[in-house]
Amino acid sequence: MENTIVKAENYNSYFGDNHVVKDVNISIHKNEVIAVMGPSGCGKTTFLRGINRMHELIPGATSKGKILLDGENVYDMNAIYVRAKIGMVFQRPNPFPNLSIYENVVAGYLLNGIKLSKADKDAIVEKSLTSAALWKEVKDSLHKKGTFLSGGQQQRLCIARAIAMQPELILFDEPTSALDPISTSSVEALFHELKANYTLIIVTHNMQQAARVSDRTAFFYMGELVEFDDTKQMFTAPRDQRTQNYITGRFS
Amino acid sequence: MEPKLGIRNVKSMIFKGVIIFFAFLITVPLIIVLLYIIKQGITQVNWSFLTHVPAPTGEKGGGIANALLGSFIMVMMASVVAVPVGILAGIYLSENPGTKLAYYSGLCVDILQGVPSIVVGIVVYFWVVKPLGGFSAIAGSIALAIMMLPIIIRSTEQTLKLLPDSLKEAALSLGVPYHRVIIKVIIPCGFAGILSGITLSIARIIGETAPLLFTALGNNFLTMKITGPMDSLPHVIFSYATSPYDDWHDLAWGASFILLMFVLTLNIVTKLLTRKWKIQL
Amino acid sequence: MTPLENEITALKKELISMWILVQSQLNKAKEAMIQFDKDLAREVLIKEKRVNSFELKIDRDCENIFALHCPVAIDLRFLLAALKINTNLERTGDIAASIALYVVESPVNFDADILEKTSLIRMYDEAVNILMDTRTAFEKEDTVLARSIFKRDDVLDAINDSAPISIAEAIKADIKTLPEALYVLSIIRKLERVGDQSKNIAEEIIFYVEAKILKHFESGKKGKSEA
Repeated sequence: MENTIVKAENYNSYFGDNHVVKDVNISIHKNEVIAVMGPSGCGKTTFLRGINRMHELIPGATSKGKILLDGENVYDMNAIYVRAKIGMVFQRPNPFPNLSIYENVVAGYLLNGIKLSKADKDAIVEKSLTSAALWKEVKDSLHKKGTFLSGGQQQRLCIARAIAMQPELILFDEPTSALDPISTSSVEALFHELKANYTLIIVTHNMQQAARVSDRTAFFYMGELVEFDDTKQMFTAPRDQRTQNYITGRFS
Repeated sequence: MEPKLGIRNVKSMIFKGVIIFFAFLITVPLIIVLLYIIKQGITQVNWSFLTHVPAPTGEKGGGIANALLGSFIMVMMASVVAVPVGILAGIYLSENPGTKLAYYSGLCVDILQGVPSIVVGIVVYFWVVKPLGGFSAIAGSIALAIMMLPIIIRSTEQTLKLLPDSLKEAALSLGVPYHRVIIKVIIPCGFAGILSGITLSIARIIGETAPLLFTALGNNFLTMKITGPMDSLPHVIFSYATSPYDDWHDLAWGASFILLMFVLTLNIVTKLLTRKWKIQL
Repeated sequence: MTPLENEITALKKELISMWILVQSQLNKAKEAMIQFDKDLAREVLIKEKRVNSFELKIDRDCENIFALHCPVAIDLRFLLAALKINTNLERTGDIAASIALYVVESPVNFDADILEKTSLIRMYDEAVNILMDTRTAFEKEDTVLARSIFKRDDVLDAINDSAPISIAEAIKADIKTLPEALYVLSIIRKLERVGDQSKNIAEEIIFYVEAKILKHFESGKKGKSEA
């Protein structure tokens, strides 16, 4: 389909001999919010990190199969280029402690030695922080270090940092696990706004979150993609018994 | 149950008292040494003391200017060699903890730390002094550098290991190549810790006498010639304290005081740096 | 507004639309009955399909909101009430359709006299008003208005109770009026059920706004409250 942004074809991941992600085939469309859920150790995070080639940074980690980004296999492209093209937000907010808020937002450019004019940088900072719903709160303290920000604000700063690189796709690895409920809902509200301009893939172990925020949900179990469907369908009448067991909490 | 509790409370208090007493006891030797040296040495220190070379035998006055300059030059040269090598080695050890190379080189570093300083001096004597044909500041710096290395390597490694992995991940996920991640993220974030390792190693070697005995020896004159013998603070203390002249004994006390102040300052700076670093992260 | 609030607002709008449709069905059936307009009655029968599809959609929307948002407190009570109000409205729509069906099937016009003697018009008007007031009570979350429904339903019950007697008298007076008299009796029974459905709706409104349960009590004057 013209509208497909990410497509996995027979994708497998290994840690040494351990077969962690088994033969995944999945197609994701532009401007969708996809939730990836499943019990601990089911391979969802490993799969996510395979998309932007962070998986191979772990010693002993390998993968087989294709992941197509806009039709091109990411494993045929330069890994660093892939990582710059795809944004990622992690579980624990990780702004760079030695950089100010302003510098954190444009860190992707600064650390790569890409020179931008001050006007360009100002524009990027304002646009990214606005998209991350953080501009109003920090616009008067852009040159302070980000350590005084709350957890939710730090996570939104990390989102702004990812957005500043103008990716089409943003990956989230359990982005609200380390946040309190109020910060969690501010980040979740952000997903709805980001959808207009980006495609989001969110790994979460909180299935209510998957239900609240996503258009389609993928359920992983023991390395396999068990079911991938409209979220409404999955939570009212899942097709696979394993999905039903997981959602209703009947797993041992 | 009541009486048993009572006895246990008493035992607990006695134990607490014993621990506090011994903790206090430890500070006593340090305080005594400090006070004594300060008392003996502070009267010696004046501007002339710091800027003049030793007076000829028998004459009053003189100073330790040559030793100050010599220590400064040799510590500088040692740092120039030891700091880059140490930091890079520390980076390697923290980034690749599982490899055989890391294991064996780590082992060597630990062993090197335990090598007696006089042995280092003798080794450098055979490697550098003999081939070059004489004592020199270069040889002295090499000996000092060998002693600085283990401290810098281990503290760099420990500092970087304490940095959360998420920092590296964040940079890598932005499409930053590995070498830039190290140079622009890891080292700046661990900077205070690395710096404290450097100041700690300087504090260590600034007072080392034994290695310099065989390598730089001493020199009564103010000199910048690094291919010849050069004086240093610990050496001056050694030679003046063991000399028969009272004047020179006084100089030794003064030099001890100066040396002590340096080491104290460096240690305090190190402590402050590590505290600041902890807050940063 | 959170996504959940958006969904609940949309659901309220759906229910109101269904309400308006059912009201119009009931009114049209009344007009058809008074004017003996078979065409108007057939319109009502056709539109009944829309009432049914409203019911299916609202049920599905409630199911989705439950599944995706796990609502609690007033949201939960609202959804539970919405499910039941949905059913009540659908049944009211059914009643309007069956009244229209009588009009279509009846070979003769309904005598104006019988309609008067049995207070059918008065009853119908009151039933229509009660339904409209339940909608107002729902839109404004007005539990005072909702409570007033119970007493007004008594009026409908009274007319229903006295119906057999007045119908019997009308038949005794003129045996030829038997067919339409029987139709009139059936319509009266149905309108009484409209009153009951509206009473149920009022109970649901009070439940979701105040968390008080008023079911299964006489006259609804006293209520067992479970906050």
